Amino acid sequence: MTTHPSPQQSNQRPQVSTFSAFQATLRRDLLIALKRRNDLLNPLMFFLIVVSLFPLGVSSDPVQLTSIAAGTVWVSALLASMLSLDNLYRADYEDGSLEQLLLSPQPLYFMVLAKNIAHWLISGLPVVLLAPLLAYMLYLPADAYWTLVFTLLLGTPVLSLFGSIGVALTVGLGSRGLILAVIVLPLTVPVLIIGAKAVADASLGVSLGMHYALLGAILAMSLSLAPLASAAALKISVN
Amino acid sequence: MWLWFSKLGSPKWFYELSSKWLPWLVVFMAVAMTVGLLWALLFVPEDYQQGFTNRIFYVHVPVASISLACFPLMAGAGVITLVWKMKLADMVAKSAAPIGAWFTAVALITGAIWGQPTWGTWWVWDARLTSMLLQFFLLIGVIALRSAIESPDAAAKACALLSIVGAINVPIIKYSVEWWNTLHQPATDLTMNENGANGPEIWVPLLIMIVAVYSFFVISLILATRNEILVRERRSQWVMDIVAREKV
Repeated sequence: MTTHPSPQQSNQRPQVSTFSAFQATLRRDLLIALKRRNDLLNPLMFFLIVVSLFPLGVSSDPVQLTSIAAGTVWVSALLASMLSLDNLYRADYEDGSLEQLLLSPQPLYFMVLAKNIAHWLISGLPVVLLAPLLAYMLYLPADAYWTLVFTLLLGTPVLSLFGSIGVALTVGLGSRGLILAVIVLPLTVPVLIIGAKAVADASLGVSLGMHYALLGAILAMSLSLAPLASAAALKISVN
Repeated sequence: MWLWFSKLGSPKWFYELSSKWLPWLVVFMAVAMTVGLLWALLFVPEDYQQGFTNRIFYVHVPVASISLACFPLMAGAGVITLVWKMKLADMVAKSAAPIGAWFTAVALITGAIWGQPTWGTWWVWDARLTSMLLQFFLLIGVIALRSAIESPDAAAKACALLSIVGAINVPIIKYSVEWWNTLHQPATDLTMNENGANGPEIWVPLLIMIVAVYSFFVISLILATRNEILVRERRSQWVMDIVAREKV
């Protein structure tokens, strides 16, 4: 950053390898999140509050709650991930570091991937870890707990990856909160359907191989394609 | 080939060509629509199970089938916008989004009107109904994004990207929803065999209605695109000439 490369050097390959740039971006985003505890806590609190609204709104009857437990936890995880999406590029856009990222010689795909992984570690993973507790409060049958955790582990990264496309498209806009939800939520339907159905099927004792295979396929596809779309969207949004 | 391609991308050329074609297309659509509607509503034999209500089939099926073509159309236009930066493709994509949303809404509404007497309910969370609803949401998302971005150039690219992402997702959503729940009768089989339940007195009017509704869609799209061309090219000389001519 401080020294300008000589013309000869600039013709050579970039001195920073893609992998170390990837690591640096990942570490930077995680550090920022650790310094701003609110970003870390708020999605989690939101998740907790939304889930506890369902018994208040529906019924405290254990039988009814058992039947909606899987869907409730999944929908709340989806909404929590939606709420935290804005952290992904917003601050970077405002302080100009997003432009630096776009100008850097590193492939944008990996930089976006690093930011998405950081976002999942910050907002997705805590939700996954908190989910069994909330499932217990909703009387989810005990044999569905691991299914809930595993499907969320496979599904929440997809939410971050899809959400990233939406944030990248809307990062420069003034009123973007609602638009973001309108754009991203329909895209996340397959994950929601398969995840919630897997948890519901687990308590029925149905074999779950197909559910995991489908979720894994969606994750693999979005890991490889979604950062490309996010990168293209960032280039459109940041002129 | 490339000359033709760049000519096609010129809004002025499209405007002039569509001025010539539009009257013929309107006449064709009016004839097909009149024949199709009269035939379907008055002369087609009643369904032995569903009775008179079955006739809404002749509106519902064509509308639903063209609304499914809307996302591929927008995604195709999006690819052209992003790769060749053709202005006309974006104008078509912009015009197609609200028309597609309307067709999707009409398909949902006619489906509900059909569903009420036959299934006994206006709405079920059936696979095909749900995936139509989700397609409607996706289209609303594209329209909302378009209206939120002020710069037309950035809006064009952003909507193109979102349409492509949406078009990749539409089949995934469709299959996941289908896997989740299915009640809807299977898609209408247009294979024209004599043994099947659908004799020619059923499928010929349907075919006419499909042609009529498709041309109605194309006419709406051309008219909306022409408006978009006039708005965006309002500073160019040929548009000013047209405006001056029409006023006098």
